[in-house]
Amino acid sequence: MGSTDIPPVDGPPPFEPDPVIEAYKQGVDRSLVRENLRRTPEQRLQALAALQRFAEELRRAGRQAVGR
Amino acid sequence: MPDAKPSGADFERLLKALHGSAVEFIVVGGAAATALGSSRLTLDLDVVYSRTTANLTALARALGPLSPYLRGAPPGLPFHWDEATLRRGLNFTLTTSLGDLDLLGEITGGGNYEALLPHSFELTLFGIPCRCLGLDKLIQVKRAAGRPKDLEAVAELEAIREERHKLGR
Repeated sequence: MGSTDIPPVDGPPPFEPDPVIEAYKQGVDRSLVRENLRRTPEQRLQALAALQRFAEELRRAGRQAVGR
Repeated sequence: MPDAKPSGADFERLLKALHGSAVEFIVVGGAAATALGSSRLTLDLDVVYSRTTANLTALARALGPLSPYLRGAPPGLPFHWDEATLRRGLNFTLTTSLGDLDLLGEITGGGNYEALLPHSFELTLFGIPCRCLGLDKLIQVKRAAGRPKDLEAVAELEAIREERHKLGR
């Protein structure tokens, strides 16, 4: 199975809608979801690694800014 | 203990270490969510591992060189990474020289490796075959975990499901 071969979504979800989750779903950025779905799983993990590095750099800069 | 803590798990090298020792595992948690389309930040790798004797041996061998230690525990504890330690425990939250790794013998709402296997699929990551928990089961286990921090994650996963359904994939 290749890296892009995630099994397709098949049929209705096997769980009931949860009103709390439905409320949270209103805040999901669908354009970001659609953009991410264009990537392969490996590309998504690489983007996550880049985000981790950026988060660490932000933390470092924040510590430096407050003199710690 | 590792000398310097990396900013996040080195997914590629951790997966290669596990694969290189023929460890049987399924990627779950935030990394699985990422592979399935999530854009949320996660810093650790969560895997459910098989508890067979052969797999405990493989796991001990795979992680031995990575200085595994109990995450958050004070330094100097008599923690020995070996097959006996794995057999005595079940879920291990570890720090390693390649970042944080959660080794889970079972997960709430999903059970153990054998129970999750039919709900997983194989994908190729960094040139190696890995098993990853499927979207529906991942949603179910995150719902079952019931942690407040998972609510946004579950909402995103359900949105991913809806978008993929619209796209017919």
